[in-house]
This record gives sequence, C-alpha cells and structure tokens, in this order.
Amino acid sequence: MEKTNIIDYTNAKYYENRELSWIKFNHRVLSEARDKSIPLLERTKFVSITSSNLDEFFMVRVASLKDMVHAKYKKPDIAGLTATQQLEKINLATRELVDIQYSTYNRSLLPALRAQGIFVFDRMEDLSEAQIKSAEHYFEEVVYPVLTPMAVDASRPFPLIRNKTLNIAALIRNKEKENVFATVQVPSVLPRLIPLPVEEEGHYAFVLLEQLIMHQIGSLFSNYEVLCTSPYRIMRNADLPIDEDEANDLLKEIEKQLKKRQWGEVIRLEVDDGVDKELLGILKKELETAGEDVFKINGPLDLTFLMKLSGLEGRDELRLPPYHPVKVPELLDEPNIFDAIKKGDILLHHPYQSFQPVVDFIRQAANDPDVLAIKQTLYRVSGNSPIIASLAHAAENGKQVTVLVELKARFDEEHNIVWAKKLEKAGCHVIYGLVGLKTHSKIALVVRKEEDGICRYVHLGTGNYNDSTAKLYTDCGIFTCSEAIGEDATAVFNMLSGYSEPLSWNHLVVAPIWLRKRFLKLIRRETRHALDGKEARIQAKMNSLCDPDIIAALYEASAAGVQIDLIVRGICCLKAGLPDVSGNIHVRSIVGNFLEHSRIFYFYNNGSEEYYMGSADWMPRNLDRRVEIIFPVLDRGLQKKVRRILDVELEDNTKAHILMPDGTYVKPDKRGKVLVNSQHQFCDDAALALPAEEKIFKDRVFIPAEPVKDED
Amino acid sequence: MGVTTFAAIYIGSYEVSLKVFEISGKKRIHTVDFVRSRVELGKDALYGQPIGYELVDSICDMLHEFLRIMEGYKVDDYKAFTGPVMRSASNCLFVLDQIERRTGIRLNLLDNSEHRFLSYKCVSSKQEFGRMIQESAAVVNVGGGELQITLFVHGEVLTTQHLVLGTMRLAQLVGASVRLDHAKRQMKELVDKEMEVFKAQYYQNRTIKYLILTGDYSLEVMRRMDKNLDNTTVDAQKFSGYLKRLEKKESAQIAEDLNISNETDVLIIPSLILYRRIVETLAADAIWVPGIDISDGIAYDYALSHRYVKPVHDFDKDIISAARSLSQRYMSYSQHIDALVEMSSLIYEAMKKVHGMGKREKLLLQTAAILHDCGKYVSFANAPECAYDIILSSEIMGLSYRDRVIVACIVKYNTYLLDDYDEVSDVLDQEGYLIVAKCASILRVANAMDRSHKQKFKNVRASLKGKQLIISIEAEDALMLEKTMFDAKAGMFEDVFSIKPVIREKKIYL
Repeated sequence: MEKTNIIDYTNAKYYENRELSWIKFNHRVLSEARDKSIPLLERTKFVSITSSNLDEFFMVRVASLKDMVHAKYKKPDIAGLTATQQLEKINLATRELVDIQYSTYNRSLLPALRAQGIFVFDRMEDLSEAQIKSAEHYFEEVVYPVLTPMAVDASRPFPLIRNKTLNIAALIRNKEKENVFATVQVPSVLPRLIPLPVEEEGHYAFVLLEQLIMHQIGSLFSNYEVLCTSPYRIMRNADLPIDEDEANDLLKEIEKQLKKRQWGEVIRLEVDDGVDKELLGILKKELETAGEDVFKINGPLDLTFLMKLSGLEGRDELRLPPYHPVKVPELLDEPNIFDAIKKGDILLHHPYQSFQPVVDFIRQAANDPDVLAIKQTLYRVSGNSPIIASLAHAAENGKQVTVLVELKARFDEEHNIVWAKKLEKAGCHVIYGLVGLKTHSKIALVVRKEEDGICRYVHLGTGNYNDSTAKLYTDCGIFTCSEAIGEDATAVFNMLSGYSEPLSWNHLVVAPIWLRKRFLKLIRRETRHALDGKEARIQAKMNSLCDPDIIAALYEASAAGVQIDLIVRGICCLKAGLPDVSGNIHVRSIVGNFLEHSRIFYFYNNGSEEYYMGSADWMPRNLDRRVEIIFPVLDRGLQKKVRRILDVELEDNTKAHILMPDGTYVKPDKRGKVLVNSQHQFCDDAALALPAEEKIFKDRVFIPAEPVKDED
Repeated sequence: MGVTTFAAIYIGSYEVSLKVFEISGKKRIHTVDFVRSRVELGKDALYGQPIGYELVDSICDMLHEFLRIMEGYKVDDYKAFTGPVMRSASNCLFVLDQIERRTGIRLNLLDNSEHRFLSYKCVSSKQEFGRMIQESAAVVNVGGGELQITLFVHGEVLTTQHLVLGTMRLAQLVGASVRLDHAKRQMKELVDKEMEVFKAQYYQNRTIKYLILTGDYSLEVMRRMDKNLDNTTVDAQKFSGYLKRLEKKESAQIAEDLNISNETDVLIIPSLILYRRIVETLAADAIWVPGIDISDGIAYDYALSHRYVKPVHDFDKDIISAARSLSQRYMSYSQHIDALVEMSSLIYEAMKKVHGMGKREKLLLQTAAILHDCGKYVSFANAPECAYDIILSSEIMGLSYRDRVIVACIVKYNTYLLDDYDEVSDVLDQEGYLIVAKCASILRVANAMDRSHKQKFKNVRASLKGKQLIISIEAEDALMLEKTMFDAKAGMFEDVFSIKPVIREKKIYL
C-alpha cells in the first residue's frame, strides 16, 4: 500500500515505445510464417502481410517521426524517447525484421514450396530453355508495349519516381562511352508472377516480372550497352495528413513546417543487395536519400506478391479448408429479424458466426413497411457493399435514411467519397463526419412504428460494417431493442447530426467526451476494491494499448492487487510483470488465421460483474479524437457468451504469445497441457450452438419421380 | 393504432428544441426523441433588440430539419410555441411571419403566464404533486429570461410571482469579460437582491415543506444526491450544500461532476447560483425535481385537450384560490365577496342560454367577482382603475395575459359604464370585449344586490321568464339600498342581453 504512493507510474521507464511494440507485433505475424504446423500457402500469406504492414508503417509512422525531426519537435514519447532516438531504434528493429522476413522467405518458404512442386524463380538463369522461351514470348507480347524506359541526361531530368512502385535502375553506356542512368517502372498493371510452362503435371513455376524485364533490358536501350541493373523501390513521405496520435501542439508545429518541407521526401529506398555501387550512388543522390534509409534486400523487393501466390488455384491441400461462417441459432426459425430481436438480445461472434444477419437487418428494414427510419455510421465498407445497396434502396422506399460516412478513414478516403455521393443521390441524408473527429463507432439504428408505438432496434458492434472483412476479422456485435439503448442510439445520431448532446446517457459510453473518464473510473473502482481487501479483476481485449493515463491506472490497480489479464493483439506500451508496478498484469497477444479485432472489457466489480464491448482501443486517438461507442452487455445470457470468449482466449496456448517482463513475446509452454487454439475452438463452438439438422450441409437434390406402376 | 405521435417544437431564449412523444392509453405520454440546438435568441431579444437575420436563418434551418425529423416519425400532430423571449424582441411579428412563410410552421406566442402554466400543468400531472401541495409547497420554474414561484398551502394557491430573473439573463447581465469569481459574486448579488424583496413581500417567515424545482440541469444535480425515504425528494440542506460545493469549481469540473455533456455552457453556473439562492430563500425541507420541461407541458396539454389523459389536478380551483389570496393581500376579502361569487354564478347559470358562454368564462367572472374590490387598497376614489392595474400586474397561475385583461376589464366596468369597443380595442379583441360586456353586466347586477355588503338575502333563485330574469329572494332586512342600486345597475344588463332583471322579494318575519 505504501509503495503505491512512492512509485511514479508515469515514469517513462515503465513504458514501451509504440513503434517498437508494433514491430514486435510483426515479428509475431512473421512467426506464423515459420510455423510448420500451418499449411504452406497460409504461411506465405503471413509474409505478405508483414510486407504490406511495413509499407504502411513507413508511410504513416516513420513519416510523421521524420516530420517531428524536421520540425525540431523535442518532446519525448511515452517511453521517454525523442523522435530522433525513435528513428534510430526503428531503423535497427526494422532491419532485423526485414532480415527475418527474407530468411523466412529464402530458407524456409522457397525450399518448402519447391518440395511441393511450386517454383518461384528470382533469377532467369534458373529457368529451363523452354521456360525462357515462353517468358521472352510473354515479354514481347505483353510486357514490352507497356514499358516506359527513361534515361537521364542533360536534357532529360531525373523523373518522378512514384511512391511504392517497383522500378528497375540501369546503368547504360552510349556510343560515346558515357555512362547514362536509366530507369523503368515495373508496370503495376501486370501480375508480378509470370507463370511458366512446367514439365510435370501438378507443378507450378513462376518468374518475377522485374527479373524478366531486367533480362530483356537490352531491348529497351538498343543503342546502348547495359552495364548493370537493379530493382529498387522507394517509400515517400506522401502528402498524407499528419498522424493524429500525437499531441495537438505537435500538429500546429508541423503545420508551420509543412510549407518548408520538400514535397514527398524519400524516407526509404529498397535495393537488391547485389546492387552496383555506382548505380546505388546515383539513386541515393537523385532521390536525396540518406545512407540509413537505404535497405539492401536479399531477395525480391515487395513481398506482397506472396498474397497472390497463397491463392494459387488447384493446391487447396496447401491451405486451410475455407471456413464458412455458420448461422446464428437465434435467427434460424425467425425469418423476420425484428421479431427475433424482440425475443431477446442477440450476440453475434464473427467470423465464426455469419455477418449476414447484419446485412439482413438493414435489408429487411429497407423493405419493411413499418420501418420509419434507418440510421447508421459507416467507416470502411466493402467494394460492392450490400449494406450500401440496402440503404439506398430504403431511401428509395421512402424511409428516412441517415448515414454518417467517415471521409477521414485512412487510405479509404476516395473510396468513401464515391459511394457517399451514391447514397446522396438515392435520397439518403449523408453526414460527412464531424470536424476534427473521426467517427469510428459502429452503430445502426432502425426505427419501427409498431402496434404499441415506436420501437427502436439497434446493432452495436466492434467491427466495421464490411461484409468482406467480417469473414476475416474476429468481431462481436449485439442486436437489441432495449428502450434505454434505443434512446441512447437516437441521441448518438442527434449528436452526430449536429444537435446538442443529450443531458445524460442511459447505457452507452461515448468518446471523445465521456469514454476516457469512464474507463479510468472503472479501473479505479477495481483498485479501490482491491485496497479494501476485496477480490478485484480486470480483463480486457483490444487491438492496441498505448494510452498513458489508462496504463498508469492499470499499474496502480496492479500494485493494489487487482488481477489484470490483457489480450492485446498489436501495440502494447504497457510492460507486464514488473515487480511492484505490473506484477499482477498478464498480457497476451493472439495472432491467428483470423485477425483479432474485437474489443471486450470486463470488470469484476466486487461480484456484480460488468461487461463492455465497443469500437475503441485504449489509445489516445480512440479516447480523445474519435467518436467511439462502448456499450455494456446487460443480458445475463449474453454475458455468459462473452465470458466464454474471454476464457477461451485466455486459455489459448497455440496462437497466443505471452509478453515477458523483458518486453519479448514468447509462446506459452505447452508441455503436458491440452492444446487450445481459441480460433479453432470458436469455430467448433459456433457449429455446436446450432441444432443438429442445421449442421448437416444441405445440398439441393432433385429426386426423380418413380414411374407409376400398374396396379396389376 | 391507439398510439398518437405528437411533436412539440419550442423556441426558447437559448435553445430551439423538438420533442417527439407517443401518447397512448398504455404508455401515457412517452418521449421518443429529443433534439435540441443552441440558438441564442435571448442575446438580442431579452433587451428589446430586434432579432437579427442570421438568427432567423438558423431558426428556419432548424425548423426545416425538425419537419424532416417529424416526417421521419410520421407524427400525427404537432404544436410549435415560442416563449416570452420572442415577444420581447422588437421585430417579433416580422420574425414570426418570416418563419411561417419560410417553413410553414406557425409559432404560437406564449406569454410568460401561459408558458409557466404549461410546465406547471405537466408537473401537476405527476402523482407526487398532489401529495406535496396538500402539505405546503413552492413550485419554482426557472427559465432563461425569467422565473416563477407559486406557493401552495393545503392544496390552495397562495401566490404566484413572476421574477425577471433567468439563467440567460444573469449570464448576459454579468457578461463574459468579467473574471469568473467576480462574475459569480455579481450574479449572487443580483439574485440575492431580487430574492430578498420577494421574501419580504410574499414570504416573510413562512416555511414550506417541499420545493418543486424545474429548469435545466436541475435533474442532473438531483441525480447526484441521495434520495430521501420517499424515494422522490432530496434533503434541501444537502442540496444547497452540494450546490455550494459545485459553485466553487470551474465549469468544466462541474460538467464532469454532473455528467453534463456541454462543459462550455455558460448557463451552468448561473443555473446553479439561482437554484441555490432559491433553495435557501424558500427554506423548504425537501426538494423534488420532476425533470420536465416546457415541451412535456405542451404534450401534456395536447393530451389533455384531446382527452388522451384524464386531468388529475383542478386548475380552476388554483385560479380561484390564487384570486382569493390576492384579494386578501389587498384586504378586500370579505363575506360580501363570497356572496357576490355565489350570486353572479347563479345569474350566470340562469342566463346560460342567453349569454352562450362556457365554463372558462364563468371562471373569469368568478375571478373578477373575487378581485372586484382590491383597488380600494390603493385608492377609494380611483378603485376601479387601481383594481385594473393590480390585476394586470399580478400573476395568477392558469390565467393568460389576455385572461387577466378580461378579468381586469370586468372589474373596471363593474363600476364604470361600458366603453365602446373602439375605445378599448387596443387591449381587447372583439370576442374578449363581448365576454367583458356580458360578465360585467352580470357582476353589476349581482353586486347591486349586496350593495350594503351585509348579505341580507337568503334562498336566492334566478330564472328566465320571457324577456325577464326573475331573481326571487327571501330577506329579513330592509332592501331599500339594494333595490335602488339594482335599477341603476340593471341598465347595462338590458343593453347587453335584451333581458330585464327583476327582483321578486319575499319578506321573512321572524
């Protein structure tokens, strides 16, 4: 008790830098690629994921750290590091990650693929004659016409190399024996993997497009002698909005600096590790890249092509059997979703359970004559979203449809504007987000005029209204027609429409105004209980944990004796198991085939347990700069189901990684223990919840009628 | 369907709001949606300035939105009101007209009395209300521009006072430029001054059991408090103690404590200061915050007038008892008044077919009868004019300003001869003029019969016979004065009704 007064829980030494923690997460993803118990093509997928993750990381995080350095912003981060220090550490850590990435690819995946008769050639020299012939033919027919080689000389300046594109640099010599630099972009419209003929049936062979182009580069510069070539790829500090995770004063600081900044500064240059010195020198000079930003890669640049490879047709045995989300038992016998919700709150656990009910919810509402209005927030939606179609349809049917479209959803901005316009055309009332806040909450409200008055049906979720990602992300949602939640839901939309906030809320907790305080209150309540000698426990599952206030409150709770179990998939700035600080905190991260995405919060509350779910992580941006909704799970039956989710994930010893006091993540010791894979377990759970006849796959069979026999 | 969806639009001094209700036998009156938007009319209008076009624009935009929302709920009916704030704007009529042209919404202009009465009506529909006023209670309704206090003892209205003191007005008076602690002190002084006068004039050393408080943020304060045993009220001392503690804090901190969403609201502190001063001045034992607002009142009134709900409180009784205590205040109350009320009611009933007036007019007549003598408190010579002024300046819960003009005129023409309509058209509409004429002539006849204020009659009966109103009486005393007066006062009665009142006397000898 006394110690708690002495320890300063906000001391930077108790915190992990978020970028380094993020890199650790990618190590965990990469470890899936090395897990031999996983089917081979699934493993290639994980390498591809780390590759695209790393790209995004550079574009967003590293870029904004660079901005800080340029702006001479000196304020240290949560772990006490300045931007320059962070960049140094990130540089080392990413190099280590990239090394493992390529050693996984070269030493583990490629041999394993070869053993399965799948050949990915990184050098034309390895091809057979027939294959070379076929590749050359492909080059002439398909590739050559779309190439635009560009040489750099006195009259032709260095061209603009576009962000994230793969290019080939070449040093060529003209007849005057002068060395000339030339570059050609590997066309992004063509597939990276070019299929090659194989002799053996069931075998596959591919060569990478850039290799083929390098092989044929002579035909592009016919009057020149090609001295050397190398693929390269750059990452620019694109003109993206400043990442909002930092303090407001930073934003102002950077805005001032923005004008002075060189447009689209290069923050990473990837080259083949065998690149010619002179060639690299030219690239570095022309792209104004510092030595520490050059990454020499031992293998093909940009491994995202492995995602395509993992979908290789005809090799299903190298993949996990596709999982089909099962139906929701509560909705089996009830074609009308509103009648089903009337019977009681319904919990949906995606992707184990189908996302279809959510789609149906909006679709049925659009066609239901009793429905007056549909209101929904949309953050990221799928390409051809049935939800958007239903919303438009509802508006055409004369329903009042209000849709909040978040235009600031990163990387989805353009996509969102297009379909927002579509909704407007259909007659929906479209709200384009709130100034200064991202609307991240996931809520849908259907107002229905029934016999005994207005009834409000609400869907609240932890994931986006996106039917494609709902098959890959683990998320939870509830349907309810509780009057109190309905009132709150209406208030949320009134607030989003620009009206005054309600004087108070019934059940929903809404960020940015009330959520942080509520979480701190809930944590401190457990602390109080622990100090009073009562049992106290917190369990929370989220994607990232990096809010300093919350972490300090958790440390305080831990020191007071609260048992804290955290399931944090990605970034975790909290350090677990530090004596006197976080001795009672256990952190695990589950990285599996599905992307863990749900947010669940549990507080023991001296026996009257409370469960919450919602759209917010414990991150400053979620708590302060976004509209988020956390909702309590009130129904006892539903609470049990949520309990089950937490229990199984806390027992997972297959896909879980445990955070150690030294900041590393290790897989738990499985010796003598029953193996628990939470994602598999939930698949089984979902199937078991269905009545027997639903489990049998119903195939449509036409039964031919028997010929009628004569009576005699 | 059995469910009526009703919407109430209200434009107040700092807020435009829409409340959607469902009214049915089962759910009674149930709020479905409540949409509010900040539009600070009071900034201009409370001081008689014209309302600027930007404000009119934002009101119209809001109202268009409201129409859309109402369409969304498929509301069956709606009422739109605006409060005293609009009335005090110098361009009130133009603004109302512009709003109607642009949105199609015709705003009903409430005067202060009507406004407070609507909220009060809704409070009175709550079960607790009846119980509390049977003991003693003060109903306090705090608005942006003004507040109103009504005192009840044993179920009877003692007085209603309207104070030009509201949250918005306080915030405006003090202004934003002043330092917060100075501002708080200034507000306190302003409130104290008003409340002290109120106390000295109307309250003295009285104590009451319950304080029934309505106004923004009152419910939020209430929520923070432990309830008394009755599970409805909170202890008044604790309430003011809590307010005192809150006042010391910054508004952001207060907002957090009270779970108020808009922490920058400049009205939070004025509200708390007002509440505390009211609570301390009225020195009640317990406080009840029913948590209703004007929109609830509008809905309740609508439900009442469409008979979706049954009235639980007798508002006419309030008016009579308020008039009676007003009469007492001006020392004009006597047995004569009771006799006069009875007599005029008698004539009123007998003349029903001729005058064609309803229950409401009878109430106005009775009120006039009760108040007809109050002017003498000020001046014997000018009693009718003084009574007229007193009535116009006194709040009587349940009477609108127009009602009060009618009552005041009835009293005036009880003594004076009726003016031509042209002479009074500035204060009375034609319908009101007719009511005044009819009631005044009834009152004159009734008054003449007890001219000596000695109630010499017994068993009075009145009935219509052809062109005559026969008033038969039993009297023990000489009725000379009354008879003489009667003829003098009956002239107007004949002019108005074309009926001649006649006294039939039956002398009783003991």
